[in-house]
Amino acid sequence: MSALDILLVILRIAFGAFVPLSFVAVLVWMERRGAAFFQDRAGPNRCNVLGFRAGGLIQNAADGIKLAFKEDIVPGHVKHKFYFILAPMLVFITALLCFAVIPFADVLILGDKHYIMQAIPMDIGILWFLAVVGFGVYGIILAGWSSHNKYGVLGGLRAAAQVISYEIPMGLALVSLLAVYGTVNLTEMAQFQGRLLFGFIPMWGFVLQPLGVIIFIVAAFAETNRTPFDLAEGESEIVAGYHVEYSSMKFALFFMGEYVAMFVSSALIVTLYFGSYQIPWFTTETLVTYARPVVIAIMIGLPVIGYFFAEWMKRNNRSHYYRENDPRQKETAVYVALLWSLVAILEVVLLVYLVFAHGGVADRILVALLQIGTFLFKTFLMCFVYVWVRWTLPRFRYDQLQKIGWEKLLPLALLNIFITSAIIVSFG
Amino acid sequence: MAELVKLFVNGQEVEVESGKNLIDALRVVGIEIPHFCYHPALGADGNCRMCLVGIEDGRPPLVPACKTPVQEGMKVLLDAEHIKKIQRDVLEFELINHPVDCPVCDQAGECALQDYYMNYSLDDSRMQVAQVTKGKRMDFGCGVVHDQERCVLCGRCVRFTRQITKTGELGIVNRTDAARVSIFPGKPLNNRYALNIVDICPVGAMTSSDFRFRQRVWFLKKDPGICHGCSKGCAIYIDHHREKYKDDVIYRYRARTNLNVNGYFICDDGRLSYAGENENRQTSALADGAVIGFDEGIELVRERLDRARKPLMLISPDCSLEQMWAVQRIATLYGAELSGYSDNYIIDGDGDEYLINDDKAANRRGLELLEIDFSRAQFLTGLQHTDLLVNFNNDLFFGGVDEELKSLLDKTQSIAVCSHQLQVYESASIVLPTASYSEYGGTIINEDNVLQRFEKALFKNEDPKDVLEITRLLGGAINDAPHAWPGIKQSVACLADIDPQAIPAEGIKLQNSEDTNVGA
Amino acid sequence: MSIKVRTVERKGRTFLEQLYLVEVIKGMTVTLGHFFRNLLDNSRLYVRHYPEVKPEITARWRGRHRLTRHEDGSVKCVACFMCQTNCPSNCIMIEAGERFDGKSEKMPTRFDIDLLECIYCGYCVEACPMDAIRMDTGIYSVTSYSRESMVLGLEDLLETPGAFAEEEYKKGGG
Ligand code: SF4
Ligand code: SF4
Ligand code: SF4
Ligand code: SF4
Ligand code: FES
Repeated sequence: MSALDILLVILRIAFGAFVPLSFVAVLVWMERRGAAFFQDRAGPNRCNVLGFRAGGLIQNAADGIKLAFKEDIVPGHVKHKFYFILAPMLVFITALLCFAVIPFADVLILGDKHYIMQAIPMDIGILWFLAVVGFGVYGIILAGWSSHNKYGVLGGLRAAAQVISYEIPMGLALVSLLAVYGTVNLTEMAQFQGRLLFGFIPMWGFVLQPLGVIIFIVAAFAETNRTPFDLAEGESEIVAGYHVEYSSMKFALFFMGEYVAMFVSSALIVTLYFGSYQIPWFTTETLVTYARPVVIAIMIGLPVIGYFFAEWMKRNNRSHYYRENDPRQKETAVYVALLWSLVAILEVVLLVYLVFAHGGVADRILVALLQIGTFLFKTFLMCFVYVWVRWTLPRFRYDQLQKIGWEKLLPLALLNIFITSAIIVSFG
Repeated sequence: MAELVKLFVNGQEVEVESGKNLIDALRVVGIEIPHFCYHPALGADGNCRMCLVGIEDGRPPLVPACKTPVQEGMKVLLDAEHIKKIQRDVLEFELINHPVDCPVCDQAGECALQDYYMNYSLDDSRMQVAQVTKGKRMDFGCGVVHDQERCVLCGRCVRFTRQITKTGELGIVNRTDAARVSIFPGKPLNNRYALNIVDICPVGAMTSSDFRFRQRVWFLKKDPGICHGCSKGCAIYIDHHREKYKDDVIYRYRARTNLNVNGYFICDDGRLSYAGENENRQTSALADGAVIGFDEGIELVRERLDRARKPLMLISPDCSLEQMWAVQRIATLYGAELSGYSDNYIIDGDGDEYLINDDKAANRRGLELLEIDFSRAQFLTGLQHTDLLVNFNNDLFFGGVDEELKSLLDKTQSIAVCSHQLQVYESASIVLPTASYSEYGGTIINEDNVLQRFEKALFKNEDPKDVLEITRLLGGAINDAPHAWPGIKQSVACLADIDPQAIPAEGIKLQNSEDTNVGA
Repeated sequence: MSIKVRTVERKGRTFLEQLYLVEVIKGMTVTLGHFFRNLLDNSRLYVRHYPEVKPEITARWRGRHRLTRHEDGSVKCVACFMCQTNCPSNCIMIEAGERFDGKSEKMPTRFDIDLLECIYCGYCVEACPMDAIRMDTGIYSVTSYSRESMVLGLEDLLETPGAFAEEEYKKGGG
């Protein structure tokens, strides 16, 4: 194993571990401010360090610090302390592990070596995901049961019943997808989606499986316990459900677990149905070939984006009431300066690349970075959909939830399999 | 039982006892006739005219109910228009010069004028001229404060001092709107029943300086009780209330009607004895002056009792029958001698012909019935020979410090189970707090052989344990008052037929118990 | 009396609505519209920037209590306990004493309001026969670091002036 091999292993694992975690911060922030904007409120924007609010991100830091330093309580009535403590870990770790099999860029070819861009390069792909995600619900059931609390148990039971009901349509939706792709390996699936249908439509999953994508997304929402399927928490009737007895870092693990799960299932939806890291009409090889024009396009695009972003900040990041020497405008000035320096640095880097390093390995790495960016951007958008749905739809009633699962999604998924296989058999 | 007569009220037939006036007779069947001046203890005066009722085909057609005895076939009209008008007119008349300062009037909430106005009138005042002003906040002595403006001149107070106490300190002077109740110059109220005037005054004209402004009456919880001030055992109401963030305390006693015992009144000393229930209470267990936990205290007492060779128990003559019985039982259990010595509770010459008794012990008859020795001789010998005295709430220094006893007590090791902090308990090495009579229920027998039952009225934040409960903790078998009864019935012949749950509010007059006692 | 029957029209029974998905997308379009409107220009949010921007308080506002005085400065309250009697949360605690200034016979010697228990219903103000207690201080933010200091005494209550002119209060309070 060469030094490069080891470096890439470390890099990939680090990516798999830290990206979901850093996304938690972004997602929590997005959830809060997003919720606020959906509801015509302002959201958290008071927390600051030396007057810098970072658009509300500081609030997350404050929350994190608070949770970390809060007294870690295990209620006296809890009989099985081991399970009580195990539960949140289980939820968090399974959520994190799911991400390990998701490819975030095309196979990286350095010289004659091929590196599969997954945290754990594995062939079983989607099966791993199904196995691990199903395990996560044990964390919730365990939490509910070991809390020794009526609400907790109810929340746990709800979660269990719900996961069973929705894993079936989800699995069935996948069956037809697998029939289309002809593989369970996620990297191969991603590569498959780089092709074009009729020569001009990107062959993304949702084009080939329009019904499957709906079933899968609905089931994924249920699987992550997000609104409108968050009955396991159901604060209006069972207070907080399975985590009602949890506090401080143990609660934080549940909380983070939820957002990691949301991120991971977004990533999976993107991988399966929305072309993964693929930029439409630009396959990896095309990109490698036309690396220089692409870079030049980026170099032109960056300042334009920077300009609009700066203008937007100046307009919105100020006090909306009379205030002498508005400190928020000064804050904005600093942000704008930072933004332009970032743009300048990027331009310099790209320039250096253009002048000295283009061709061969550098091109490949650049393309890989571009694809990672695309993948994260798509995932981010999918997460936004999660938030968007949460702040639009009310929660289902429990009987409605089961009805949708068994009476609507299940037959639909079967129908989907039927149609898909018919088409595949007849058109081959 | 008196004869029954049938009569009609508003066309409805009712059956009532004969020989009473309309107010009293109809009250029994739940029909109220408004009245000010009539009081069953003072008789009808007929001056207020509030009680006017119509008699159909009667001659005269309009009569004061207080002065009209019931008659067979009488047709009484109460809700006819003209009767209602009369009631409104009388009320308007009463209110002409009435200040209507109910917000600051202590009577508000239990005021006849207020109630009648709300029930029968609700008219606005038509008065154009200024009201007549009279004396307010006049000190009549004996803690009675008079407000002449609020007086409706019913004369109850005047008649009380003339008929009941026969002291006649009060009179009504002047005429028309200058008429007012007054004392004679330099001669304030001076009798030991004066505060009853506050009770019988139908309005807020007579207030008690002791209760004045302390609480609004509608907050008070009014539980029946029995005064333990002397061996008369007068029936009372215990008016108590728990203020927010505070404890349940008694605000006043009022007389409760019991024709077997006290009639309609109580003496002032008894009325003011409520203060003793609130103040100077023993609240924590002590061992050699240091505060200890109650359970710890019980343990200590048990230990000492087990070790003692010749214990002596002393019981208070104020204790209920059940408590006495329970103490008697544990005295046997521990092989202790039991005394009810309480000569000091008798204050010679203090009593009078009416309610007040020389003997300030509430249940001496109980001691007698249970054959608990209360002679001085027995107690003195017992005290000289004992190595442990357990005193159940008996204030040996009630009438004053008894030097002979004191020197003996100082020499004896003693345990006090007491409700109050008193000098007599100072020499005790262990002190256990216990409930006083407003905090437990039981039965007592007064000097006239009337057996009365009373219930627990006060519920303190830290409810003190009563003597019965303490005997149980010390090894006795009885956990509450009803449980003591089978035993009591067995040993006291004259109580054998009594059902403790069915003792009526006015008590039971025991028949020639003296004889049965001797016989048993 | 006959029972009135009102038939309520049931919504959501058509096929499209039963499909749910269409309605979901409609709803999501609406919320997304709000999101972008606010994202692009957050000056149009329906929020007040409290505490920098204070709300305007009208004379009808039930703020923190105060006890009023007569023209000559003497306490109006006559300790009638009407407010205490009416208080649904039982948070007024009064002790009364004799009064010798000729205004009345009775006045409070202690008048405590436990603001932690108060629900600001205003019944005390309604009940007072003397117009002695009012909630017109305009104080709407009652905060403190200790429970004890949330119990206002006679002095505290007498100290605070009303925030409104007399006519305005009378008009507002009606
Ligand atoms: S006597 Fe009765 S009516 Fe008169 S002020 Fe007092 S409560 Fe009111
Ligand atoms: S003071 Fe009371 S009892 Fe006496 S006359 Fe006046 S109203 Fe009647
Ligand atoms: S506002 Fe309501 S709750 Fe508060 S003190 Fe007044 S009556 Fe009581
Ligand atoms: S504030 Fe008003 S209602 Fe309350 S005790 Fe004083 S006078 Fe009576
Ligand atoms: S009660 Fe009959 S006249 Fe007064």
